[in-house]
Amino acid sequence: MIYVLKRVLQLIPILFAITFLSFAMMRLAGSDVVEQKMLNTGQVVSDAQLELAKEELGLNHPFYIQYFRWLGNLIQGDMGVSYVSGKDVFETFKSKLPATILLTVTSILLTVLISIPLGVISAVFHNRLIDYIIRFFSFIGNSMPNFFVSLLLMYLLAIKLDWLPVISREVSAESIIMPTLTLAIAMSAKYLRQVRTTVLDELSKDYVVGAKARGVRFSATLIFSVLKATLVTIITLLALSIGSLLGGTAIVESIFMWDGVGKMAVDAITMRDYPIIQAYVMWMAIIYVLVNLITDISYRFLDPRIRLGDKKS
Amino acid sequence: MKKLVAMMLALTLTAATFIGCGSAKDKADERKESSQVGTKSFVFGDTTFNSENEEATIDPHDTYCGWACIRYGVGETLFKFNDNMELEPWVAESYENVDELTWKITLKDGVTFSNGKAVDAKIVKDCFEDLIAKHERAKGDLAIDTIEADGLELTIKTTTPKPTLINYLCDPYGCIIDVAEGNNNGIVVGTGPFVATELVTDDHLKLVKNDNYWDGDVKVDEVTVLTITDGDTLAMALQNGDIDAAYGMAYASYPLFSGDDFSFSSTATSRAFYLQMNYNSDVIKDDAVREAIALGIDKEGFVNTLLNGYGYVGQGAFPDSFPFGKGVNAKSYNPTKAKEILETAGWVDTNGDGIREKDGKPLTINWVSYPSRQELPLLAESAQSTLKEIGFDVKLNVTADHGTIVSEKTGWDVYAAAFVTAGIGDPMYFFSTHCLADSTKNRGGYSNATLEEMATEMNSTFDTDKRNELAIKMQQQIIDDDAFVFCSFLRMSMISKSNVTGLVAHACDYYELTADLDIK
Repeated sequence: MIYVLKRVLQLIPILFAITFLSFAMMRLAGSDVVEQKMLNTGQVVSDAQLELAKEELGLNHPFYIQYFRWLGNLIQGDMGVSYVSGKDVFETFKSKLPATILLTVTSILLTVLISIPLGVISAVFHNRLIDYIIRFFSFIGNSMPNFFVSLLLMYLLAIKLDWLPVISREVSAESIIMPTLTLAIAMSAKYLRQVRTTVLDELSKDYVVGAKARGVRFSATLIFSVLKATLVTIITLLALSIGSLLGGTAIVESIFMWDGVGKMAVDAITMRDYPIIQAYVMWMAIIYVLVNLITDISYRFLDPRIRLGDKKS
Repeated sequence: MKKLVAMMLALTLTAATFIGCGSAKDKADERKESSQVGTKSFVFGDTTFNSENEEATIDPHDTYCGWACIRYGVGETLFKFNDNMELEPWVAESYENVDELTWKITLKDGVTFSNGKAVDAKIVKDCFEDLIAKHERAKGDLAIDTIEADGLELTIKTTTPKPTLINYLCDPYGCIIDVAEGNNNGIVVGTGPFVATELVTDDHLKLVKNDNYWDGDVKVDEVTVLTITDGDTLAMALQNGDIDAAYGMAYASYPLFSGDDFSFSSTATSRAFYLQMNYNSDVIKDDAVREAIALGIDKEGFVNTLLNGYGYVGQGAFPDSFPFGKGVNAKSYNPTKAKEILETAGWVDTNGDGIREKDGKPLTINWVSYPSRQELPLLAESAQSTLKEIGFDVKLNVTADHGTIVSEKTGWDVYAAAFVTAGIGDPMYFFSTHCLADSTKNRGGYSNATLEEMATEMNSTFDTDKRNELAIKMQQQIIDDDAFVFCSFLRMSMISKSNVTGLVAHACDYYELTADLDIK
């Protein structure tokens, strides 16, 4: 319990440092939301109007003053309003989170369903035809960037086969298929190789040979011993993926018009919409710390050596 | 063991296919069927309808939201532009310039808002007063002192002479709305053929036909405008039939729609891709260098090869389809002449590296531009290549942070940018923002006394023909000085399914969905 509390308390300096750094870096990147808007509309406003617009947003102050003002408001529970849409940051963020969380859950589930069975098959049939086929597709999946997979799926499932619409008006079973497949293909290609390597490593261990010698069925050894031993590796990988997926996948979200936090963050960076960027940075820090914490705790249950090692020390 | 493998394979295949297939086919059939029955629905995909372009709502009194208001047929202005950017009556019937400061506008009889209320001078007065109270840019542009309303007659007095007042009233912010109805979550009540019913910023706008439309029957019953930011998604949505028409398609996708199933509506706009010279730079101060740059830009090659013909070669600041864009003579691509001019001025390649030098300094120019307009990086590469043949070493800096660079006097030589030069159908807008000593965007410190005199004359000239004449002379002046090089103009296109009619691209880029829109 103290361990968990300690880890959660660590969040405070992390959040402080990361939001300060991101604020400073955005200022170093030059330009601001007023200039970006002017550029997008392609029209000219006078210097006086420009200054007035900056003053209204407080952009005429040095960045550290802007930062501490933002921090002060945050402590009072006010995350501010978006410079671009004029809408409340917290409400905007809250409205986009469900779509991102849903996509994270479906793509992680599909990844697990694809990569674990294929990884195990590939390891069991090591250097046989089925292993080569699975590895070949894994290479292909690894080599294709997400945007390309998105476009291929769109072309195949929407244009050629006409099974799905290119754009969906709301979050539905129909609309989640292509973004989920896009993310799962890339992640499965990577994970199944990891699963394969870990299972191969376990299969070469003495206890597997011993079990075989004792006449234990191979399937039982595989499911109850080998797979259990590989869980630590798989959970580490999944934890990292959950972190990045909860941060949104801007390209996939843009292409499929999936209204999540990733696209929101990229748009905010382009427009120098500092309040939205800060909210996103905080969200990322929190999820990474929490996901890592949960992962560490899960290790203690999955691997007795970690638990017992702690007790010994 | 075999059982285990079979089980795993089955599980994998199921996982890989259950989401991919499922009942998708049935759903797709439903989708197609539902679009065929009942009302006429039109779905329009647009890459520009978003808060980044300051179009978070359709309230014309808020930033640039008037663009969405007018484009999607909710609002209409007192006057509008035809394809030659000349004024035509719309909600108003006529205007009279009583004196330098006074304008009398007569409204059309029988114009109504979508809520059935008749448009009279009092309602227009309330609308404009609300506009200048909320909209800084409009307040500056219009310089309105007082407005008087009497029946259908509106009298506007300005604080300073405003020869272009009527043009400014055609800006989308000038849409006539019923301010008494307020702003309902970004939705306003206008006089146009469509009525907005639902708005989700950065996502979609739903419209229905205005049953009370004053100017004829509206043929389409429902319209959905979708904000689609990704160009490939926009293209595939049109190919797949999810949308009926698209605005903002990337040039690279145009060939996909060259068949009979789709139709294009294109027009030359005044969005110019131009070069601005930095007179604070020692190398650019040299007349020969500027002239050689102007002669060294292969405009035809840029438009025809790099843009695949999706543009128009520029001569002056405005397309030659505009009345003030005709008769301007710009330099055409002539590398031989450019080389001669540089030789005469003392720029010679002494060390044989292909780059000319003078007084020991190489002929290097820093070219600054930005990537958000797809034409600009291509223009930079094209210029780097053609200018190198002449003996220039062009250092490219195509960056989103270009504004910071060109706000400094030094550190750049040539700035390549895009700008809508005649957004309100009046040429003075470009000169006053870019070419005069006190212009906000005169980044390079260009100054010419003759041009300043002509600008002063223009500001007190109310006669349109005389203004056009002056505009042509002013363009010739800045081109002869090689202070600006106008490379090309945007060819704006809307692509639709072939069964869509009445969707026409306009030179000013303001009007898209009208009562004429129909699906056969």
